[in-house]
Amino acid sequence: MTRPSSFSLISTKKIIQMNNVYTSYDSKNYALKGISISIDRGTNYAIVGQSGSGKSTLLKLMNGMMIPSKGTIKIDYQTPNMKNKQFKLMMHKIGYIPQSLGLIKNITVLENILIGALPRLGKIQSLLKMFPEEEVIEAKKILKQVGLEGKENRKAYMLSGGEKRRVAIARAFMQKPTILLADEIVSELDHITAREIMALIASAQKTMNLTAIMVHHDIQLALEYANRVAVIKDGEKILEIGVEGDKIVDFQTGNLTTEEIMEMYSNESKK
Amino acid sequence: MNPKNNIIVGIIIALLFVTSYNIGANPIEFVKGLPNLAIVAEEMTQVEPKLFGTAFLSMFETIQMAFIGTIVGVAISLPLSMFAARNLNSKYVYAPVRAILAAIRTFPSILWAILFVIMVGLGPFAGVLAIIMYTIGFVAKLQYEVIETIDSDPMDAVSSIGVSKWQLIRYVVLPESAPHLLSQMLYMFDYNVRQTSILGLVGAGGIGFYIINYIKFFEYGKAAVFMLVVLVTVLIIDWASVKIRDKYIIKSQHGMKISVK
Repeated sequence: MTRPSSFSLISTKKIIQMNNVYTSYDSKNYALKGISISIDRGTNYAIVGQSGSGKSTLLKLMNGMMIPSKGTIKIDYQTPNMKNKQFKLMMHKIGYIPQSLGLIKNITVLENILIGALPRLGKIQSLLKMFPEEEVIEAKKILKQVGLEGKENRKAYMLSGGEKRRVAIARAFMQKPTILLADEIVSELDHITAREIMALIASAQKTMNLTAIMVHHDIQLALEYANRVAVIKDGEKILEIGVEGDKIVDFQTGNLTTEEIMEMYSNESKK
Repeated sequence: MNPKNNIIVGIIIALLFVTSYNIGANPIEFVKGLPNLAIVAEEMTQVEPKLFGTAFLSMFETIQMAFIGTIVGVAISLPLSMFAARNLNSKYVYAPVRAILAAIRTFPSILWAILFVIMVGLGPFAGVLAIIMYTIGFVAKLQYEVIETIDSDPMDAVSSIGVSKWQLIRYVVLPESAPHLLSQMLYMFDYNVRQTSILGLVGAGGIGFYIINYIKFFEYGKAAVFMLVVLVTVLIIDWASVKIRDKYIIKSQHGMKISVK
């Protein structure tokens, strides 16, 4: 396996390292079968695969909601696990947006966003819902950034699908994260809204120096916005490619055109 | 209907006959007793309008008792329900709390009233205490069941931010279960007004005291005045709770303001 010397999209600092990871739902069937992924700081990383391929599981492993049955994971040199005290202290640095978004329906947009600031709040403050003024100002700034200006007092359940996703993104940004994990955040959206939201994340990713790991089922969308795309099928990584402008680099076969990648992907998923 | 269902229906009907025979439930006796009911009904129509003043005053006392009982009872049951919810606590916390709640529910309110009459003496205060106990037993149970059915997605999403358990309760559990809590409060107040009306039976205050005494002395006309007032009050409360339910539970669309320090 030879990497082209011109391939220099990313710094050398690894923020996420998964080594030969297996997860199982029961003792016989593995959801993930020996996945190794390493992600550099500041990458826009996409994980593509069909339903049931194990791609959501990958995200849940990265934020400690699931633990692997075999293999190791390090996030900033820490093992993600709710019982790991060191990891618990850095959880607020990982913004996680589940596919269901996990918004609280009966409270307002602004309150939903402020939840992202909770790890910075004291006991009494959070009990009385007394958010410091700078946090409210920050929340309103983010509200504007995600395009929800003027909707801060709407209840979350009254919003459209696109707006709900923006609230979930804003809540994650409110955490001041270094890593953003998003599970199929634009699936079920129309093309225009999907691209608006992808562009929003892409620009924030650059300004906030985020490492974004996003799960998609549409490879076209992944290729448009990501620096790196991994294709997962039946719990195995079948392809990992780097993207720079129009140029696509496959780590196993050298330079490829978009068409060839698309063809490979469709052939692989038919198998 | 398939044969299996026929057998089940057959068994239920057979059981109905056997149990009725055992406890002496006889429809013929019921029909024979109807003329007695007619006598009571006739006497009840001879209402004494003089008593309406007393009736309203004692009804007002009853409502106040139910109000205190409901509010204090719900306030106590709220933290208890948090400890009793299986999705928030370990077995060692929720199991004993649930056992206590089950023990509280074992007594009907009338038994609690007797107990508190012995403790604090005759009067409305004993009734209030009885209603508080009854409210705790039921609202805490209903509420922990609501908490256990809260959507796990917001819980997972918010706990993955790294918030404390108290923050999770304050920002996810409470708002997600609040509409149910309001609904239960309204139901409980309605129910407490009606049950406070019978606590007078054991001398724990309220309008029931009058009803039971007039009935004891066969003064059905006087008792009817008080029963009429209870009926009207319950109808009014029913109407009001429908209005509140519509506004805050079904059409709750008004945003809350965030307090800024």
